[in-house]
Amino acid sequence: MLGFSSVDALAEVREFKLARSSETRNTCPYCSVSCGLIMHSLGDRAKNAEPAIFHIEGDPDHPVNRGTLCPKGAGLVDFIHSESRLKYPEYRAPGSNEWKRISWDEAFTRVARLMKDDRDKNFVAKNTAGVTVNRWLTTGFLAASASSNESGYITQKAIRSLGILAFDNQARV
Amino acid sequence: MNTEDRILEPGRIEAPFGEIRFLSLAGRDLFTRRADRFRFLSPGHPLGKYLDFLALLADAQQEAQDRFPSLPPPDARELALCREHGMPLLDTRSRLRNPAWRTALTLILRRMSEADLPKAARKTAAGLMSVDENRLEEMADGILSGDPAATPPKELPFIAAALQVYWVRMASMVGEDAFAKLEPAGVCPVCGSFPATGIVHANGTEKGLRYLCCSLCASRWHMVRVKCSNCEATQGISYYSLEGSNGAVKAESCDDCNTYLKLLYLGKDDAMEAMADDLATLSLDMLMDKAGKARSGPNLFFHPGCEAKQA
Repeated sequence: MLGFSSVDALAEVREFKLARSSETRNTCPYCSVSCGLIMHSLGDRAKNAEPAIFHIEGDPDHPVNRGTLCPKGAGLVDFIHSESRLKYPEYRAPGSNEWKRISWDEAFTRVARLMKDDRDKNFVAKNTAGVTVNRWLTTGFLAASASSNESGYITQKAIRSLGILAFDNQARV
Repeated sequence: MNTEDRILEPGRIEAPFGEIRFLSLAGRDLFTRRADRFRFLSPGHPLGKYLDFLALLADAQQEAQDRFPSLPPPDARELALCREHGMPLLDTRSRLRNPAWRTALTLILRRMSEADLPKAARKTAAGLMSVDENRLEEMADGILSGDPAATPPKELPFIAAALQVYWVRMASMVGEDAFAKLEPAGVCPVCGSFPATGIVHANGTEKGLRYLCCSLCASRWHMVRVKCSNCEATQGISYYSLEGSNGAVKAESCDDCNTYLKLLYLGKDDAMEAMADDLATLSLDMLMDKAGKARSGPNLFFHPGCEAKQA
């Protein structure tokens, strides 16, 4: 109307298509500082396409790290796409140098079995003075530090109720 | 790997401020920088002629701003009242406009009627000089009510340009420290207008932070990333860019309110300017429109009613 034509713009737009991506907040899995992340991924979850993460940056709005990341955190996108990334339970028998893939059921059953056997054998219900102590000192438990308050609470409840005293949350599990 | 992330040398890491800076007002050279950017974008651009026109208009805005008469500062009691009730201090709708905005309009029209423009544009500029005050105020009201479509498309850029100059001047007169955060966070804390775009900064202590850019006074205020600037939803946010582009401009869209606002990622191109690059990426708007999403904030140099035919 002012004497400008948009015919070219209309022609140009026919050549383009939209590409969709998303930005998702998460927490760095490496250490107990728990830096905030924004993960950029391609793909549309609604269409059953595998979302592919192509970029990770520090969350600039996160009060802990204000967008910064340490060298490990800055390399997270390669950690995600790493060929040697652990994706399922594996078992290496004592004396063997070979890892064997096992199912989650097998893994849980085996861990529970070994824990129960050890606890049955070594549980201390009373000390030498006859006072009830309910200790299980021959097994320890190491949990991850990047878990939420809720999973931290559940871990504490489950482990302490077994009588385990050696219990820690560690940064690099 | 992240190609846009620089590796910092020890000792060069800037410590973030205690608080995220929430507001920055437009600089004194806003319109000159905008004009430069329009000129940079125009060669070979499908809307090149319109961008050239806007470059001249931005030059005229800069001149008008530099020669703008000094105004009495807003009444202190009124400012205190706005602050008490969480209202923008320079609200476009509640505050009486000083007729001085028409001085800016006159300065702009005078310059534009001498400029090298298409005949229709020059005629419109010349015609506006003799329009009576009431009609001008009526058109200004239309733009400021958040509905640029209420103003005839020919007149819109000129009136909007003058209002921008006036509000930029008023904001700088009141000063950054006077303004406070508002609820809702999606409107300008200075004048209450909707944002035209958002900018994601690339450097220094503001790296990665998103600031919304006011469509009227060009103030920039902080808003958390990955959050709809229109309805503040944090779920169902997607980003759309032109396939094959470098992703410097993305439309942040919301499934909840079905709107979008463009974000300019300065990490991909730090020369981008909110208003100019918004207009230069009109193809993205057209595709978003086709996908059924509406823009949540206006660009005052783009008349929503005539997008498909003429700009």
